[in-house]
This record gives sequence, C-alpha cells and structure tokens, in this order.
Amino acid sequence: METLRDAFDFRDFSKPEKVGFAIFTLFLLVFPWLGAGSFVKAVAIQFLLFSLFGMGWNTIGGYGGQVELGKAQYVGIGAYTVALMMVWWKIPFWVSMPIGVLIAIGYSFIIGYPLFRLKGHYFAIATICTSLVLQDIFINWKLVGAAKGIELPIHEHPDFLYMQFKSDTYYFYFIMVLFYVAIFYMNWFRKSKLGYQLRMIKEDEEAAESLGIDARWCKIKAYSIASAFVAVGGGFLAVYNLYIDPYSVMDLDLSIKIALMSMLGGAGSMWGPIIGSAFLVPLDRFLGSWLGAQKGLIGVDFMIYSALIMIVSAYQPRGIWGIIEQFRKK
Amino acid sequence: MAFLEVTDLVKDFGGVVANNHVSFQIDQGEIIGLIGPNGAGKTTLFNCIVGYHKPDSGKVIFKGKEITGFKPFMTNREGIGRTFQIMKVTAGMTVLENVMVGAFCRADDRNLAKVEAAAILGFMGLDSLKTHHLNELPIAAQKKIGLARAIATQPELLMLDEVASGLNPKETEEMVDLLKKIHKEKKITLFLIEHVMEVVMPISQRVIVLDGGEKIAEGLPKDIVKNERVIKAYLGEKYAKGI
Repeated sequence: METLRDAFDFRDFSKPEKVGFAIFTLFLLVFPWLGAGSFVKAVAIQFLLFSLFGMGWNTIGGYGGQVELGKAQYVGIGAYTVALMMVWWKIPFWVSMPIGVLIAIGYSFIIGYPLFRLKGHYFAIATICTSLVLQDIFINWKLVGAAKGIELPIHEHPDFLYMQFKSDTYYFYFIMVLFYVAIFYMNWFRKSKLGYQLRMIKEDEEAAESLGIDARWCKIKAYSIASAFVAVGGGFLAVYNLYIDPYSVMDLDLSIKIALMSMLGGAGSMWGPIIGSAFLVPLDRFLGSWLGAQKGLIGVDFMIYSALIMIVSAYQPRGIWGIIEQFRKK
Repeated sequence: MAFLEVTDLVKDFGGVVANNHVSFQIDQGEIIGLIGPNGAGKTTLFNCIVGYHKPDSGKVIFKGKEITGFKPFMTNREGIGRTFQIMKVTAGMTVLENVMVGAFCRADDRNLAKVEAAAILGFMGLDSLKTHHLNELPIAAQKKIGLARAIATQPELLMLDEVASGLNPKETEEMVDLLKKIHKEKKITLFLIEHVMEVVMPISQRVIVLDGGEKIAEGLPKDIVKNERVIKAYLGEKYAKGI
C-alpha cells in the first residue's frame, strides 16, 4: 500500500512541474488524433521508447552514479526472447515479454556480480565489453539467425496476443502505457530505501559503507532493475519493428545513446531522461533525414548532435534539468 | 569480557608496517583517546577495525564476536559507527537526507527514517540546517553532520577520526560538549583519534598512544602527559633529553 501511495504521490514536485506533467500527459493522449504523419508518429514512439530506456538507466547511472554503457545487451535479450519464442513456438508477446525480462534480470545478476568489483572508468569499459561480447555471440550464432537477424511472422489480421497492429496508433498507446508505468515506478524508486542508498553511494561510497550500506549489492540490485526496464523496451522493439538483428538491438551505439540521453537531460532526476529523449530523438531523426539526405552533408547531423552535447555538458554537468533548476533558483 | 578487543594486530603496506602487533581493550561506556604523531598508524588502526583494510594478522573481537576482516557495512551492522577525518563535501543531498541514509540502516520505512533523522538533528542542535546541502556549510557543521549520520545508524561504539581538526577554539569547545552529551545521553562508547589535546585530555578516560605503528603507552591522561616515551615521540629525542 505504502509503495503504491508513494508511486502515485507527486505532491513534493513544484507547481510548474505538476502542471507541465499534466499538460504533457494530455498532449500524449490526444497526439495520435492531431493528424501527424507516420514519420512523426514513429518519432514519437521512439521518444517514448528511449524515455523508457533512459528511466531504467537512470536508476544505476543517474541515482547510483555508475557510468553504465552496456544497456544494449539487455535490449537485445528482451527483443530476442520475444522474437525467438514467437518464431519457434508461437508464444504470444504477453508471455514471452515477461520471460525476456526475467532472463534479463537473471543475466544481469550473473554479469553484475563480477562487474561491480570494478569502479569508475574500469567499470564503464567493462560494461561496454560485456555488451560487445554478447553482440558478437549473436552475430555468429546460426541458431538465432546470426548476422542476418530474424523476421517475425506477420499476421494477416491485427492480433492483440502477438501485438501486431496495422496502425502505429496502437503501438503508440501501448508504449505510452509502459512509459507511465515506468514513471510511477521511478516516482516510487526515488523515495525508496534503495534510492536513498544509491544516492549516498554516488555522493561518497566510503561513507555509504560506513553507514551500513552494502554498496556492491545495492549497485547490483539497481543494475538489474535497469536491465529489466530495458528488456521491456527490447520486447516492444521486436514486435514493433517485426525484424531484429544484432546490429539494430545490441549495438554499442544504442548503449551510448541510452546513457547520453539521460545525462543530457539530467542524470539522477525524475524528468531528466524524458527531457533528454525529447531533445535528442527528434534531433537525431530530423537531422538524419533532412541533412543526411542532402548531397555532401552526410555526417553533419552527427556534428550538430555532438556539439550540442559538448555545450550542455560544459555549461552544466547536471544536464538540461540542471540548467532549468539553476534558473529557477535565481 | 571486553567490549572491543584488539589482539596482536598487524598491517603491513608492503614494507611499511603501519600497525605492528597492536593490542588493547575497550570496555563498554568508556571514552578512549588514540593519539600519536603523524604517520603513527592511527587511521590505519581504525580502518583495520572497521574493515576498510584487512589486517595481515591479529584479531578484532567486538562484543565477543570475531569481526576481523568484516567489510565496513558489516561492522556497522554489528554496531560500530565511524566518522571520517575528511568528509567528501557534495551537493547532491540535503542534511536531512544524509542523516536519513544513516537511519535507513535500522529502519526500512521512509517515514520512520525521516522521523528518526529529524530527532537526531534536533538532539545535535542542527535543526536549522535540515534543508541545506553539505557544500553550503562551514566545516564545524559538516563535522557535526558526519557525526549525526553515524549516530543515526544506532552504533554502540563510535569511532571518530579527528573530529575537531580544522575547528577554532570556540567550536572545539562546543564539539567537546557535544561528545560528552552523546556519550551520556545516547550511551555510546567513544573511541577517538585526536590531535587537539584540548579535546583528548578533558574527555578521555584512558589514552592509547601509537608511534611508528606500535603502541608505546596506555593509561590515564594525566599519566600519559608525563610519560617519557610519549614526550619523546611527540617532541623528538633531543628535546626530551633537555626536559
């Protein structure tokens, strides 16, 4: 009960935040009916998906302060579990997705246990490596489609069990539900014992240990929470794209984007990952499709993208949310 | 049975013997001072007891239970709290939240932890600082918050590493009063490393002296100040002869 109350209790946010959140929610609800084209809808779905990824990353990376750059492997685990179970045994999404999450959680404990012996840069490098190793395994593993990837069987009629719809609107509402579940979860998480302990670890790990906090165990727990979040998103990605390969769901690029968006938006804050995703996903997409298509301008989108990140991180390491708070204090 | 018993503790940092066969006992309810010149191995001894270092040999027994080689969070759960000589001063958490983290050690519920943390801040006279961040506060307040945080974990033995360093005489006096209050009202055994004699001498019931990693003296404060080896360690051979 207490947990639920905490999850739905937004009272400690400031008024502009509450109003902003309410308007944003209304906007999302009516968004599919505003006459946006399929490209814009796809961008919106990507935005919600990356917000979900980012909120997951925010537990270990933001609140816990661990530079985690290997989330793509859990996107992959979630996506592959859903895809393979559907192809091999025709298992519906609603069964395979939770199984994928469980596998991701189990795997994250196995990986996290040795991983969190490391700290700082070494930890960051190791997270990249574990993800790359898994990607390489999948690239060469014939049974799961190797580098070619797998295509999901397309159903002729829309099918809720297998999450196949004709229109993006359904996918939009579905990811929106997941997005809100994540928000309520994070609202609880930031007030939980684990949330406080992680913040202390981020502040001063030595002191945290002296206050009875098993820092390593706390980090492992947060790491697997983050992995579970990301695996949910991975499962969604499989049924949404209907095609996955190791390059699209397990790439280093994806890991870095997940971390980057949260950092840019403001790691360790409730709205940071959402803001970051709202900023970078459209930027990435629109720049990519407009500039990338122009002759001779290939790569310019990456330059703008990188410059933006450099500017924000130089100006305020706590990201866009940090800048907003700075102005509010004045 | 002694409350804390350290037997033959050795810590060797690859050639530099920081603690060389150190043994001592502390009884429940005592206030013990640990003094010695710089590099005597005081902080190392603390770290070996609390678990930041693993002793090379020797035993640490707390309340009849061997805790040698326990990790810091485990010794804390056994009932040993500690503060640090230098606190990391950060901006991420308020004073109240800092103390709440300590309280979470014994309470799972957030509201309970909050109430407890507030009570401890009240006890320490820090009520007005609740919503501040550590980096906005003077060093005396930071030291007190470090103390409050440790007390929130409800320790039976509190180990304080230079709790009065960097304080002016008036603040030092306040700190001594606060320590006395903690000892008396919270019934916590205190074990403190201290350079400032104005702190050690008036409140310690016994003083242990380390020099070069070895225990060179132990006794009442008034005897320690007259002890020849202690004077030698602090002032050097030449001066000691002159006396």
